[in-house]
Amino acid sequence: MAVARKLYYENVRVGDELQPLLKPAIDRVTIARYAGASEDYNPNHVDEDYARRSGFPGVFAHGMLAMGYLGQLCAEWVRAGQVKRLQARFVKIIWPGDQLTCRGRVTDKRREGGEYYVDLEIWVENQKGELVVKGQSTTRLFHSPEDEDRQRRGLSPLIVEDDHRPSLVEVFERELPRIEVPPRPAARLPPRNAKPRLGLDDDEDALPAAKKPPTRTAAKTVKAPKKK
Amino acid sequence: MLDKALIGRRSEPVVNEVEKGAVRRFAAALGITDEVHFDERAAEAAGLRGLLAPLTFPATFRSSIELREALALGQRGLLHADQSFEYFRPICAGDRIQVVAVIAEVAERPGATGPMDVVVVEDEGRDEQGNLVYRARKTMIVRPAPREA
Repeated sequence: MAVARKLYYENVRVGDELQPLLKPAIDRVTIARYAGASEDYNPNHVDEDYARRSGFPGVFAHGMLAMGYLGQLCAEWVRAGQVKRLQARFVKIIWPGDQLTCRGRVTDKRREGGEYYVDLEIWVENQKGELVVKGQSTTRLFHSPEDEDRQRRGLSPLIVEDDHRPSLVEVFERELPRIEVPPRPAARLPPRNAKPRLGLDDDEDALPAAKKPPTRTAAKTVKAPKKK
Repeated sequence: MLDKALIGRRSEPVVNEVEKGAVRRFAAALGITDEVHFDERAAEAAGLRGLLAPLTFPATFRSSIELREALALGQRGLLHADQSFEYFRPICAGDRIQVVAVIAEVAERPGATGPMDVVVVEDEGRDEQGNLVYRARKTMIVRPAPREA
């Protein structure tokens, strides 16, 4: 068995994405196996008739099955490091036939004393790209091979003061391509014979004085002399 | 509306033995293939005392609170809404973990189809020396009883 390359704190960057974990499609056997392994026999997961009478179209997977997948995602990412915290919110029900993909991204890295922590944002999507589970994890890594070697020999951890903080430019370059611009609503043209549209200020002048927002009225009285 | 007097109710400690077979079955049910969950030599090579339990394995631990009984749920169903774990050391086969559960919250929250009952249970697991091994917190939504068959 090949020795997995280790992951060190010094090599992690905020914004790094984890290798996605693709799981095989879930069927009723997957659900039954998890029910047995976890001894969670909540009838909504194993009793089709009960699930229907409870108002569901049929049985569905334990949220904990998907959280187990998220645990696998984090454990495989940290390798020899440790997962210190794992949290999941079950957003959408997971049905038989769903094919799940687990994803994650580094949101923060920080030193606390002699310990180096990396925070992850993690989530699970189904085959339609819908968010089904959303969570977070905190992991602990060695700073570097040198830090690991010291600690394994029982020495004090390596303290590295100048942790690289990304500049604003770096953050923008990294984040900008991800920001999705929602499509603009089609411009609504006025009907052909409509009167020319009044400007916002003109519209407000048309309102009864009492309805004017006081701040704007005040601003206008200040502006007025400039227009001369 | 559930009985709010249950908030703070704490279970007696129950010892949960982490069994090799259970660790292997749990990892296999999740489709995890890492040998540290299956092969003792691989676990030992990784510096572990025994087969490594997958991260969500503490969900299988039992406490002496039978939630359905404690809350007098009758036929009402439970739906898992949120779960978190905090780990103080890896959990391995051979561990004997004392689990204490506390009902942390019983509340009514607005839901899509009207108010719903929500229960939060917190677990704490300690090893035989009394050292904290993990903490867990789960939020369950209580659903209406199913229609009669």
